[in-house]
Amino acid sequence: MTTAVSLTPTPAADRGALLALEIAGLVAVAPHALELPFWVVLVFAASCLWRYVIETGRGTRPGRILRYTLAALVLAAVFREYHSLLGRDPGLALLIALLGLKLLELETRRDYMLSVFLFYLVTLGSLLYAQTLPISAYALVSVFASTAALIRLNQPTGLARRQTLGLAATLLAQAVPLMLVLYVFFPRIQGALWAMPPGGGAARTGMPESMAPGNVRNLTESAEIAFRATFEDAPPPMRDLYWRALALYVTDGQEWFRGRWSRSGAESYTALSEPLRYEIVLEPTFKHWLPALDLPTEAPRGAQFQSGFTLTHAEPVRDRRRYTLSSHTRYRTAGPTAGERAGALQLPTNLSPRVRALASEWRARGDPAAIVQAGLDYFHSENFVYTLSPPLLGADPVDEFLFETRRGFCEHYAAAYATLMRAAGVPARVVLGYQGGEYNAAGNYFIVRQYDAHAWTDVWLPERGWVRVDPTAAVAPERVELGLEAVRRLQARGAALGTLPAADALRAIEPGWAESLWFRSQLYWDLANITWYRWVADFDKERQARLFARLGLDRLPGSGPLIAILSGAAGLILVYGGLLLWRERPRLDPTQALYLKFCRRLARAGVARTPHEGPLDFAGRSARRRPDLRARIDIITRRYVRLRYGPAPEKAELGLFRHEVRSFRPSRKRA
Amino acid sequence: MSSVANASDAVVLGRRQLYMLPTRHGLMFALVLLVLLLASINYANGLAYGLTFLLASLAVVSMLHTHRNLHKLTVAPGACHPVFAGEAAQFTVCLTNESGAPRYGLVIEQERGPARKGAPWRLRRRSAVARLDLAAGETACVALAVPAERRGWLAAPAFLVSTEFPLGLLYSWSRRIAFDQRGLVYPRPAPPTPLRAAAHEGAQPEPHARTGAGDDFAGLREYHAGDSPRHIHWKAVARGQGWYTKQFGGGAQTLLWLDWDTLEGFDTEARLAVLARWVLDAERAGARYGLKLPGTRIAPASGERHQHQCLAALALFGLRT
Repeated sequence: MTTAVSLTPTPAADRGALLALEIAGLVAVAPHALELPFWVVLVFAASCLWRYVIETGRGTRPGRILRYTLAALVLAAVFREYHSLLGRDPGLALLIALLGLKLLELETRRDYMLSVFLFYLVTLGSLLYAQTLPISAYALVSVFASTAALIRLNQPTGLARRQTLGLAATLLAQAVPLMLVLYVFFPRIQGALWAMPPGGGAARTGMPESMAPGNVRNLTESAEIAFRATFEDAPPPMRDLYWRALALYVTDGQEWFRGRWSRSGAESYTALSEPLRYEIVLEPTFKHWLPALDLPTEAPRGAQFQSGFTLTHAEPVRDRRRYTLSSHTRYRTAGPTAGERAGALQLPTNLSPRVRALASEWRARGDPAAIVQAGLDYFHSENFVYTLSPPLLGADPVDEFLFETRRGFCEHYAAAYATLMRAAGVPARVVLGYQGGEYNAAGNYFIVRQYDAHAWTDVWLPERGWVRVDPTAAVAPERVELGLEAVRRLQARGAALGTLPAADALRAIEPGWAESLWFRSQLYWDLANITWYRWVADFDKERQARLFARLGLDRLPGSGPLIAILSGAAGLILVYGGLLLWRERPRLDPTQALYLKFCRRLARAGVARTPHEGPLDFAGRSARRRPDLRARIDIITRRYVRLRYGPAPEKAELGLFRHEVRSFRPSRKRA
Repeated sequence: MSSVANASDAVVLGRRQLYMLPTRHGLMFALVLLVLLLASINYANGLAYGLTFLLASLAVVSMLHTHRNLHKLTVAPGACHPVFAGEAAQFTVCLTNESGAPRYGLVIEQERGPARKGAPWRLRRRSAVARLDLAAGETACVALAVPAERRGWLAAPAFLVSTEFPLGLLYSWSRRIAFDQRGLVYPRPAPPTPLRAAAHEGAQPEPHARTGAGDDFAGLREYHAGDSPRHIHWKAVARGQGWYTKQFGGGAQTLLWLDWDTLEGFDTEARLAVLARWVLDAERAGARYGLKLPGTRIAPASGERHQHQCLAALALFGLRT
């Protein structure tokens, strides 16, 4: 009857506890293999293994000198990797590697507990890299493993492994509603508490700040998502999806830059089409620019217009950013200022004579619109090829591309075309951005990936203002109509771009059923992720304010959220407390419950049963103390013993017993 | 029951008898939570906030579980068998879980040193004695050892029940419990001392001396409480024929009077120690013996019950009970 009474009051950290700890640690550390140097995770895993071998008695504990040497090596290796020991990456790498080494000398329960607490920190670290649905779900698993380890450390006895896991799950499930209250109402603070290292996104692929031959093409290898766009109404056709990021004015003949001469506010234009309202969710770029559809009307909060209808954000975009814009795809802009006009006509000093000659031939036609058309016709009629793997170009890439290789990617066409137009006296600028996007019908939004990066030009025509001209479209209309993936497929089949009828091109790239199933599942998966971002991961100060406004909390004084947190939390705790205590009520079988009732009544009459007293002993003692009750006590006790310990009793017997107990009402004192 | 401090009967731990504070580990956890919160704010990371709040909520929820682990636990005094001075008295306390939910990691902490009145929520110099788990409806008993230094009554030590279940972040403990339980401490027996001559008042065998000692089996008689278990006729018990005590004869049964007055010249405690030794020796020798103390006279008899009666008289001699 009596369970384990242990004479060691503090639970010992045994092998099971170590195993639980190591599993929790490995689960917490594993996702960091994706972001941190692999050796960091290896150090942790190797330490786990080593410690386990020690625990089984087959290995030796490392001495102090060895441990310190290993720690110093870890420090040195992290410093070599990052040239710093501070910041997110080096900090996490150090934390994980040193936690591993600490495993080797774990002794006290306190060490074990602290390790688990730090595993929670490691889990949080994995959320700093990505907030996708799977990463979040994994983090929950990791928290579960650590919590189970914590329970195992504190309660090594009594709980089977399944019960330990079940208790961890119960605790977490009960914590979720309270967490939601805190999550929704805890006041969010805008801005970083300490300076963030600027190099956080150095390794990321993304739109460069300038354009040189080859650096847009590099992006075509990446299927990473650049941003997603949701239109409030019907989306425009694919060929109108030109997302502007940067307008480049200055060139040295090789590379194009934005230049520093113009920081004007919004330029004005006359809209010729209905406005399109849309929301963009931009993935972190670690740059300032914000993509916007041709042409945006106003800057979102925290952003401002740069020349060329491009938007920049005050700070580099470090986190996923969500903003709403409206744009007009048909427009007439005002003329450039004198300064901008001069900038849009700037030519490299070493412009080659061949380029100059070609441009002056067109300039002779006089009409700028004719010059613009002549440039496009030139690309179309001459033997130009649009290719994803253009040959490398030398010192004068424009000349070389126009007259020798004639094989190029969008950036080659844009650079060459802008240079030719300027040489022919038409103000022109290069625009860097994204073109097209993949429509996700499930969620009614466009996914724009890095490989959708594109370069085109704006030319200025006297009566129309700035006009978008995409020389790539003259060579390979498929790029603009169908997107880069289609071009890649067509080229893989050996089709010549710009020659196929659209229907043939579409048929040529039609995916098989398995492939299309895969695409569809990808789109649904992306929808799940974007929904997750929208409702959970991106819940920030702004969304919180909007939610408060909807709930009417914004009308409360400044402590509104605090009151909401406190009342919500207090309510939940009351509910929990009630539930827990309610569950605690004894669930005895009716016989025993009745017997306990009998004991309580006897206790009130002055004879209390001691816990180690059996029913017969108690009956004897109480009958001696209260001889007046002897007969009743004997009957009840005999019935109880028969019901509880005898062979299968009849139902009627229990009824009799119940009647006996209920009618047993002894007087307080002996008569 | 409001006065838990001194109870004579079972105590049920209610809300008012339970306290809670974070453990050292709990404070450490709070510090880690603060670090998590700072990281969440700094990186303005919604999921990091979520994780931080989940862990904070976990700690709050575990508070309820810790409290529930002690709530409505029944603590009752058990037996305490007499001991000799110099030994340790074992006070049994029993924990009963009458609820439907199992209890884990219950720790009994005992107050060390002399029992003193103090704040009900703390024990001076406590030390954890035992740790136990109780399934639904189970009872477990734990012995609290107290060194018995002097003869007489020994008060039960104060103790409390505590737990850190389930996460070790919170420490919940009950009010100080001291049952009105007493343990009897016999005088410490003196080293073997020859029986004083004057003690042989009527050393001759009594004509109607009841047999009971010796080597030869002399027959069976009905069992009386206090008979040595070694002499019980177990086979008859096993056959369900009833309880009988085997009687032995052959050895000359002597009648001894253990007399306080024969020990003139010793102080009280020494006299009691010698008398305790004689009681033990006489019982072991199987003699019938009586005890004479100033104001007390215990008629000759033998058996465990008689021995206890004599030793108790010695233990309480001259003390107000």
